[in-house]
Amino acid sequence: MSTPFSPVLLRNRRDSGPLCLEDYCSTGGYEALKATLNKRSPGDVLEMVVEANLRGRGGAGFPAGRKWQSVPKGRGGPKYILPNTDEMEPGTFKDRILVGADPHLVIEGVVLCAYAVQANHGLFFIRPSYEMDAELMEKEVGIARQAGYLGKNILGSGFDFDLVVHRSAGRYICGEASAQINAIAGNRPNPQKGGPRMAVQGLWGRPTVVNNVETLACLPGILQNGARWFKDLALTPTGSGSKLYCVSGPVVRPGCFELPMGAPLRDIVFGQAGGMLPGRSFKACLPGGASTAFLPARHLDVAMDFDALAAIGHRLGTGSIIVFDEDICLVGATLNMINFFARESCGWCTPCREGLPYIGEILRQIESGQGREEYIPLLRRMARNMDYAYCSFAQGAVAPLLGLLDSFEDELREHIARRSCPFGAVVPAPPGKTCATGPVTFGPTPCREGLSCRI
Amino acid sequence: MLPEDLRETLAREISLAEHPKEKIVDVLYALQSHYGYLCDEAMRDAAELLGMTLLELEQLATFYDFLYRRPVGRHILHVCDGVVCWMFHQYSILDHMCRKLGVEPGQTTADGLITVLPSGCVGNCHQAPAMLVNGRFYGGLTPEKIEAIIDELRASPDDMGPCR
Amino acid sequence: MPDLIIDGRAVTVPAGTPVIEAAQRLGIMIPRFCWHKALKVAGACRMCAVYFLDGPVKGLEMSCSTLALDGMVVDTGHPEAVDFRRWVIELLMVNHPHDCPVCDEGGQCLLQDETISGNHALRRYPGRKRTYRDQDLGPFVAHEMNRCIHCYRCSRFYQDIAGGRDFGPMQIASRVYFGRYEDGRLESPFSGNIVDLCPTGVLTDKTARFKARHWDLERAPSVCPHCSLGCNTTVNARYREVVRIEARANAAVNGYFLCDRGRFSHGFSSLPDRPRKALSRGLETSMEQAVTQLCARLKETAARHGPQALACLSSSRASLETLGALAGLAQSSGWTGPAVFSGPAQAGRTLQATLALSDTRACSLAEVAQADAVLCLGVDPVNEAPMLALALRQAALRGAPVLTADPRPLELPLPFVHLPVHPRDLPACLDALIALAAPAAENAPDALARLLPGYPELWPRLEQAAPALAACRRPLLVWGQAMPGPGLGEAVVRAAEVLSRTKDDCKLMAVLPGPNAYGAALLDKGDRPTWRDVLAGVSAGRIKAVLAVECDLPDPEILGGLEMLAVLDHLPSPIADMAQIFLPTTNLYESGASLVNNEGRLQFARPVQARGLPVSQDGRGGHPPRLYDLGLPGSDPKPAWEILADLQAALGGRGPSHPWEAVAAACPALAHLAPENYPFDGVRVVRHAAAPGLSPGAEAEARDTGPGTGFFSVVRGESLFGSDALGSYSPLARRAAGEPVARLASADALALGLADSDTAVITLDGRSLEIGVRPSPHMPPGVLVLPGHLVLESGTARVGRKKGEGA
Repeated sequence: MSTPFSPVLLRNRRDSGPLCLEDYCSTGGYEALKATLNKRSPGDVLEMVVEANLRGRGGAGFPAGRKWQSVPKGRGGPKYILPNTDEMEPGTFKDRILVGADPHLVIEGVVLCAYAVQANHGLFFIRPSYEMDAELMEKEVGIARQAGYLGKNILGSGFDFDLVVHRSAGRYICGEASAQINAIAGNRPNPQKGGPRMAVQGLWGRPTVVNNVETLACLPGILQNGARWFKDLALTPTGSGSKLYCVSGPVVRPGCFELPMGAPLRDIVFGQAGGMLPGRSFKACLPGGASTAFLPARHLDVAMDFDALAAIGHRLGTGSIIVFDEDICLVGATLNMINFFARESCGWCTPCREGLPYIGEILRQIESGQGREEYIPLLRRMARNMDYAYCSFAQGAVAPLLGLLDSFEDELREHIARRSCPFGAVVPAPPGKTCATGPVTFGPTPCREGLSCRI
Repeated sequence: MLPEDLRETLAREISLAEHPKEKIVDVLYALQSHYGYLCDEAMRDAAELLGMTLLELEQLATFYDFLYRRPVGRHILHVCDGVVCWMFHQYSILDHMCRKLGVEPGQTTADGLITVLPSGCVGNCHQAPAMLVNGRFYGGLTPEKIEAIIDELRASPDDMGPCR
Repeated sequence: MPDLIIDGRAVTVPAGTPVIEAAQRLGIMIPRFCWHKALKVAGACRMCAVYFLDGPVKGLEMSCSTLALDGMVVDTGHPEAVDFRRWVIELLMVNHPHDCPVCDEGGQCLLQDETISGNHALRRYPGRKRTYRDQDLGPFVAHEMNRCIHCYRCSRFYQDIAGGRDFGPMQIASRVYFGRYEDGRLESPFSGNIVDLCPTGVLTDKTARFKARHWDLERAPSVCPHCSLGCNTTVNARYREVVRIEARANAAVNGYFLCDRGRFSHGFSSLPDRPRKALSRGLETSMEQAVTQLCARLKETAARHGPQALACLSSSRASLETLGALAGLAQSSGWTGPAVFSGPAQAGRTLQATLALSDTRACSLAEVAQADAVLCLGVDPVNEAPMLALALRQAALRGAPVLTADPRPLELPLPFVHLPVHPRDLPACLDALIALAAPAAENAPDALARLLPGYPELWPRLEQAAPALAACRRPLLVWGQAMPGPGLGEAVVRAAEVLSRTKDDCKLMAVLPGPNAYGAALLDKGDRPTWRDVLAGVSAGRIKAVLAVECDLPDPEILGGLEMLAVLDHLPSPIADMAQIFLPTTNLYESGASLVNNEGRLQFARPVQARGLPVSQDGRGGHPPRLYDLGLPGSDPKPAWEILADLQAALGGRGPSHPWEAVAAACPALAHLAPENYPFDGVRVVRHAAAPGLSPGAEAEARDTGPGTGFFSVVRGESLFGSDALGSYSPLARRAAGEPVARLASADALALGLADSDTAVITLDGRSLEIGVRPSPHMPPGVLVLPGHLVLESGTARVGRKKGEGA
């Protein structure tokens, strides 16, 4: 790269903590909002976003502008924005970093989105692990409201929009947009497919926009500097904007780095993150969190953007890179992730609810040396069938497994041939008695046993 | 027993809400905080305040992992067992913690002070292995760090973190 | 209307039909668990996967969530679809216990059927199963959660359709649990439907537990005899005993569902003390002997006092065949009667109601859901006609405002506006509602003050409901016949006329007293006496002999002084104990019955089992007694119409040789409608003839009632269980009903010094009774609600505290 990249989203990240309102304003904060409210029409804003090719950074990568354009215009009644900070994808912590560094950037982005779709209510949906950031958000929302950036008649523009923090009580599935709407409405947070799309009929039957906070935080930049600027930030022809990439695993500097969209994977892992820890060598990584597939070393030069990864049959997801070295058992890692997803399954549809524990059991047997040859085609078929589950949770859940089967089948075979884990892993036995004459109770049963621990 | 001022506060919040059902989780959190965990009495209070049946609330309380329908200690340690923490020998971290406290995963110490709960990825992967202690992140855990944290918790039992 | 091809066969379906239903029209049953026609699409089980070869959708898709569209080409047997479905079954069987041998569902289990036909047979899952602890859900529904395949049908029905709030899904992931917050009886009056819906053996009929395998059962289509709605049922019997009742689908009446009263009150048919032998002066005798003796006594009494001195009684629980035969016998012999209704008020109101239900006005139960506003007057849906409450909920879910005006404190599983109004003010209340429903409601504010001056606290509720009423296009008026005081029926008919002038349509539904009340009305030209008339005749000495056929007279002591009392029944009723001659009849399960429901729908309940002692009672747990008779033990009972035909023959006449002959004779309009000819969902008949003597016998209240007078207007209170005629004999229903209580307004109770559960002394019709009280804030002053079996017709009562109870 000729010109060094200057952070946009994380430009205000400091060790001393979140940026206060005064400092935010003094570094150009809320200028985009001032330049937009009543100076540009909502339709113009939408066009800019579409032209900027802003894609959702929550994992799905759906073009945000196109989503917002499908919100019905001009109908009376409330419309909702749900900034999604339910971030529970393993390996992903960028939203926490972002909110913790620059809450007002996020607020400004939310207000701009609200203006674009003429929404007047926002519910900032945040997971319980991020309670400290929930409190921060509450405080800063109050300050922003005092200063006139939220609430009635924002900056005298006649546009009303207010934001409240809505705390989740947990569970990964609440990050799924339709499940989130159910969660807020006080229902069991099962996803809801079929029926009109959420942009038309969502929370309380009203038009609702659900977007990741990183996506919304891109708006001030786009509106301040233009769509062209946003597109030019990226390193790939079809990418746009900058991206927060997380790196975790056995690297020298795990953390969250903002880079142009489409930065090469190698630059992120071996540049920004300082490469492998001494004595470790790169085996594979998950490029976008636990719902993506293992990417072997031969793909290290791939550009980390939606299209480039799709072209090699992978997904950008959240752009959270989990690095694995040669000493880590990928079968064990896959087992860990399958167990996570099996536990977080909402329990609505059969493939996910029953299939993920089944796959977990097979992997556990393989990992503990009890695997059989026929398990491999079985796993492949079961993983492919997850395409037909009710929502895309199950598909994501088996992505590492499919990656394991595609690129690291030899590791599986070695487990089976050796009848033990070649990396010396020991898998704890599942709870419960084996051949019990009485009832074997697996995990909590009625009512009173609802505890958050694993099953 | 629900103190009158807490009841009034919650009742007012609910009555001011355009959609009272949006307040369910907040009410459950508040009652959980007051009673120490979401006991049956808390559920009855919540049902009365929200005009919902016990079953309707139980449907939600047993779904979510930060609502505790069984007793928990004063301090809750959410030990992350996500894949990143796992690869940093999460088992041995959890093992060490449990041995030090004398409990199994999911259980509370005999003095009612500390509960150890394995939890899905808590969002501190760059500082793996990590855990949440009363809603505060602790990362880069080692057996020594764990001992220090536990000692600190034991020393200042009133230090309640933001997240219960 | 999309055209599509499924498995090579073309079908055209209405727009909005899912592919799974389109296939069903061709007779192709795509495997499914969670999809049910009556429930909203879930897409949870993933079992209904089919392969779309061509058209707007291609590849593997779920047929329940894919609407049929033009040009679709569907292959349900495509290898990919078959393979996928086999995998789904495998997943569902992963945790399924090996319970088939001990599971009641075995033999009628959708999971069994789909597993075998889905070609999954051998388990290869190498892990362990998750298990659950079960709950006690009450006396009706058994709970075995290990068998659950999580189709969510039970909670979708229970919460969405039935509005129940105490049962649903808890937990998450593969340990999702369907149950209550804690052990206890399911509260919804429709809880039994989850037994029908559950595709495995999780929820089964606890009352039928371990009694029979599906292939052992004798099954027949029948009609529920526990209220006037006439929901369709399938009766399952084994060894001459009814084992269980299932709902039978009738799109025009009950849809796919049934209420718990209809499902669990069948115990009346196999009571251990059911009379099965003819008795003459308390001694067992043969049927022929008894008929001969009865004939002799009847002739004797007629000769001595004239035929008018003989009266015959029946009730609205008797079938058309029985009523027709009795009518024919009474007419040919010149007797008084048959008296079928309890009093002039009930008779008049029922007759008037049936006249009001013209072909265009009458609303079927299924049509209730189409109404966009419903006014219920003087009717307690959950306790008088439970399935009506379910239908009202569906209307409410579609946005229809539902208003109820009744002195009783009603509870309904839907949002509704209740107006606690004294029975005498019901007509005025209806007039007020109609005034509000007029599109140009200029006089509306005055109307409330003018028509309901005594209820200022209700005006805001009525005003709030006014816009919705004014905007409605298809209102429905529902009314009951149990309210004391004149005028309600006329007010309803008047209201319907007013509404139909300004609305698209106005329909009527009358809740009638008894499963065949409409049928009794059909055979009544308005000139028949009532029970009250007969009893008055007995007191006055005009009536000397009574023939009672399948009726339950409350307080029959007055009949003790008769020269001759003869009873035909299949139940051990109090009046049967007093009879000098008793002849046992068969019930509808044994001889079938034609019943006309409250809408005028003529339906036939087919016989299910042979008459005779149930095997369980015959052998008393051991080997049946070694009697070498021909014929089954306890098979003396005959259908009532047959006995009456024998009697008519013995009296020298000619009785009907076919049960429908007498019905046709009594009501020529029904002549062509012998049961063999009915369509499967019944046939609607309409009562046209304006008969003389129609207006309900005025029964002005004997006294003033209300606060300060010390007198209360008495209103019949029904309960879900045990208050219908047949259900009151069922031990299970009586247990489920709990203790009888009297209800009155909280203010009245306070004035009398009565608290909840105190015992009150009620003086009614010269009798005195003690009963627990339950005050309610949702009742008007001056009204006392008593359990139905204590109240013959309306009246007034005094209420006092029981002496000796603490202050």
